[in-house]
Amino acid sequence: MKIVVTVKLVPDPNADKRIDAGTKRLVRTGVETVLNPYDEYALEAALQLKEKTGGDTTVTVFTMAPESLKETLRKALAMGADDAVLLSDAALEGSDVWASSYAISRALKKIGFDLLIVGGLSDDGSTGATPGALAEYLQTPLVTNARKAEIADGKLKIERETDTGYQDVTAPLPCAMTTALTFGEPRYASLKGIMGAKKKTIAALTVAELGLEHAVGQGGSKTALLSFAPPPVRGKGQVIEAADGASGAKAIFDFLKERKLV
Amino acid sequence: MQNVLVYVQHKNGQTPKVTFEMATQARKLADQLGGKAHALVVGAGSSQLAQTLKTYPLDTVHVNDDADVDRYLLDPVIDYLEAAAKAIGPSLVLVANTLTGKDVAGRLVARLNAGICADAVDFKLEGGKVVAVMPKLGGAAITNCELLAGDYGVVTIRPNAFAAQAGGSGAAVQAIEKPAGKNYGVVVEKDVEESSGELALEEAPVVVAGGRGLGGPEPFDTLLKPLASALGGAVGASRAAADAGWVPYSLQIGQTGKTVSPPLYIAVGISGAIQHKVGMRSSGTIVAINKDGQSPIAEFSDLLVVGDAFAIVPELTKLVQAAKS
Repeated sequence: MKIVVTVKLVPDPNADKRIDAGTKRLVRTGVETVLNPYDEYALEAALQLKEKTGGDTTVTVFTMAPESLKETLRKALAMGADDAVLLSDAALEGSDVWASSYAISRALKKIGFDLLIVGGLSDDGSTGATPGALAEYLQTPLVTNARKAEIADGKLKIERETDTGYQDVTAPLPCAMTTALTFGEPRYASLKGIMGAKKKTIAALTVAELGLEHAVGQGGSKTALLSFAPPPVRGKGQVIEAADGASGAKAIFDFLKERKLV
Repeated sequence: MQNVLVYVQHKNGQTPKVTFEMATQARKLADQLGGKAHALVVGAGSSQLAQTLKTYPLDTVHVNDDADVDRYLLDPVIDYLEAAAKAIGPSLVLVANTLTGKDVAGRLVARLNAGICADAVDFKLEGGKVVAVMPKLGGAAITNCELLAGDYGVVTIRPNAFAAQAGGSGAAVQAIEKPAGKNYGVVVEKDVEESSGELALEEAPVVVAGGRGLGGPEPFDTLLKPLASALGGAVGASRAAADAGWVPYSLQIGQTGKTVSPPLYIAVGISGAIQHKVGMRSSGTIVAINKDGQSPIAEFSDLLVVGDAFAIVPELTKLVQAAKS
């Protein structure tokens, strides 16, 4: 079975991000680029399924990113993916969700898969729309927010989280799946994994090989980012030392009353 | 884009409050774009829910109680939405920014060849242009994003960001025919509801959240719950509290947890690390109770009371209860 996991490379989620009011861009100084944390869960799911199914199951990692970020993919290979594919092209710069999902879906079609696993959300764009768009472009069934998954009788069976509870669902293969964060903590790369990753292949793909019928990149997008600005400054608030419970409570109550919140 | 179509997410007729926020906003958008405001509600319990929806300022509510909607995972919903959008003509589709809503929105992007703006908290319409305002990067940036001229656009809406207001002259409730569609065959074998169709945390007007400073699971019930109830709100938690197993992960606010923006957020015993901050910093008013006046939360609270939460919270609960009665 061929499992493909799509990953995104994002600014470190644990860094306190700041927008430069002048340039209106994210201040990248001191902010590392890492695997989107949600995608590490997707990769963990793929590796678990590979272990369970055994045989000739392989896990390929796919990303669309500038060539300069290629080495960031080694972490996924160190965790246990067999190989990787990097779609990189200046023509993709500035692609919105519509354009990037379209391009990625064409690349995935070229790569081929029995099971496609996508992280549920990206930490930077946080749209959460890419898995749905990919599945539709690929005309493939989609199951989302999986917290348990198994492959039996040629079908994918998952337990998935919903907004108000959970469901058991079954999908025919090939299909696409997204993972919930309750699937299981992503594994650490072992030293052996890190050494082995250096020898694994990262294949390159360009837009010319995809045979696209529509333009991508900023020019082919259906949305335009008009502004990207820091949020209104929340002035440093009051700090009150409470001598005891009653005075602390009174301070909060008076403050809420003044703001008409009680 | 001229008309507006609201996707009504529900289970047996139970729908989150954000549905009514979208129905109200749909009217405003449709008026500005010079079109009509529609809603689509399909699956078991839809006819009953349509009776409530028609008291909101919509023009038409499209309904089908089709049992296939609940039998298959979203496939029929997408077919209905595609059919409704194409029947109505060029339109802006509003979907709640929930787990289900994200799936729906993504699939519509491809089905309708539409641009998407996610997690909108406001709209700006100028000269026929639709611009959505959205916090990004955990609230570190506010972006304005334009849906470029096209037949369709999709916007996911953050719960609690828009007002819900019933009114209007009563929408027409109209049956929508089951479309031929393409069902990919994802079957729902078992469906378990753990809460009654409410998005408790994201929709609560007040969130009282606890962190490591509470020291264990009990204070969430004995300390925070009474205050949250008195304020008509819900209890949330920091990652530290969820990781310690004091509360279920469904209460976790922040990165890898939920994003909330209630009018009032009360943080109790939460230091305010970045992973918490990104999930709550766009709340209206932020009040913190912490024993450390130097904790990071001081930087983004409107009021920080330095003191013993175990002494302050019960007194505050009493004051709020007294004010109510």
